[in-house]
Amino acid sequence: MVIRELSGLILTRGPKLCNFVEWKGYKVVYRRYASLYFCMGIDADDNELEILEIIHHFVEILDRYFGSVCELDLIFNFHKAYYILDEILIAGELQESSKKTVARLIAAQDSLVETAQEQANSISNMIAQATK
Amino acid sequence: MALSGMRGLSVFISDIRNCQNKEQERLRVDKELGNIRTRFKNEKGLTPYEKKKYVWKMLYIYMLGYDVDFGHMEAVSLISAPKYPEKQAAFLSFCGIWGSYHSRMSQSFGAVGYIVTSCLLNENYDFLRMAINTVRNDIIGRNETFQCLALTMVGNIGGREFAESLAPDVQKLLLLDERDLGVLTSVMSLFVALVSNNTEAYWNCLPKCVKILERLARNQDILQEYTYYGIPSPWLQVKTMRALQYFPTVEDPSTRRALFEVLQRILMGTDVVKNVNKNNASHAVLFEALALENMTRMLLVTDVQDIIKRHQAQIITSLKDPDISIRRRALDLLYGMCDVTNAKDIVEELLQLLPEL
Repeated sequence: MVIRELSGLILTRGPKLCNFVEWKGYKVVYRRYASLYFCMGIDADDNELEILEIIHHFVEILDRYFGSVCELDLIFNFHKAYYILDEILIAGELQESSKKTVARLIAAQDSLVETAQEQANSISNMIAQATK
Repeated sequence: MALSGMRGLSVFISDIRNCQNKEQERLRVDKELGNIRTRFKNEKGLTPYEKKKYVWKMLYIYMLGYDVDFGHMEAVSLISAPKYPEKQAAFLSFCGIWGSYHSRMSQSFGAVGYIVTSCLLNENYDFLRMAINTVRNDIIGRNETFQCLALTMVGNIGGREFAESLAPDVQKLLLLDERDLGVLTSVMSLFVALVSNNTEAYWNCLPKCVKILERLARNQDILQEYTYYGIPSPWLQVKTMRALQYFPTVEDPSTRRALFEVLQRILMGTDVVKNVNKNNASHAVLFEALALENMTRMLLVTDVQDIIKRHQAQIITSLKDPDISIRRRALDLLYGMCDVTNAKDIVEELLQLLPEL
């Protein structure tokens, strides 16, 4: 519902217009990267330029992680995009502004997932052998 | 993992899972509860490991939906254990079993009457009071993991008594002296929320905020990774100034001087540059600085109106901007600045605009 209303509102805005729209008492800050739009809803008295740069900060981190990120990266790895976002924002506020730190934390999570997968594989192998 | 290697617990859980029906499960649980009860009775012979194992079992039984109305003493004693697994077991069981105690207490309030309730309350609070001290030791202790456990517990079951006796210690954990900018950024978000709620309690944090701002504005001791397009963490700067805006005045003269110097530096040092991102970031800081400055200035300068009026022509042109966001802002501003002297012009413009809407 929110997405439908907002996409109608934002997509119709021309490229020369500013990156802020007022919507239902909130401000929506959006930024366009080729065919990708990133939007954040904020309170009326929040600093919108700061938010605009949080979006860019997020995109730069995505870019570094996926290697020049594109729409397909996000469609197929949306969970990773969310994990990364979780490292950057906490309760809607910026929590970590160092790209290096975020990259390190995400790499640690990735290796955790890998070991868990390996374990799961070896266990299912063992079960397969036992039931043979 | 803390749970691996507790054979008795795994055996118990798999026993429960292998039960064919509810009746079998109940029998097994009752047997186990009886076993734990007798073991706890002669506590002398229990090792911390055994205690921990039984507390885990109690927690599991509780999670299955059975009442566990004993053994709280043992859980309390585990909190002060020096090792992580024991503490973890104790804290978890507290959060679970005691959480429900609170709700049951309030239920019995209506049903059974005051006398029973007050007995229950006292009994519980005796337990809680014993726990408070050990929890406090963990909070003020140096071990980060224990601090986390203790804070989680306080957050989950802390009632008024917890709040009263632990608030100062928890507040001390607010890491405004921290050097790491990532931690500072998160803390500052929390701090802004706290200050917006109650400014009075945080006066002593004001000089610390100014110190942080000074460090950022002078670019002292800032790691490369925390600069954004050459600007030392613009977000932290914005947040810190946001926090400062909640304080009506700065009393201490040296702090005030430091703050004004920082603001001066930001106001003078911001230029329009080619790079969009750098521009946005530096202006985000600039506008926040202006907002903070205005708080102090607006009171002195009453003729802000006159300054705005000089830009009237520009604002009226903005009414015809293709961008709805800008048109709205312009309209807001015109509404605000309208008085006897310019009403005629402004209303005329608005009337002209009306048919186009």
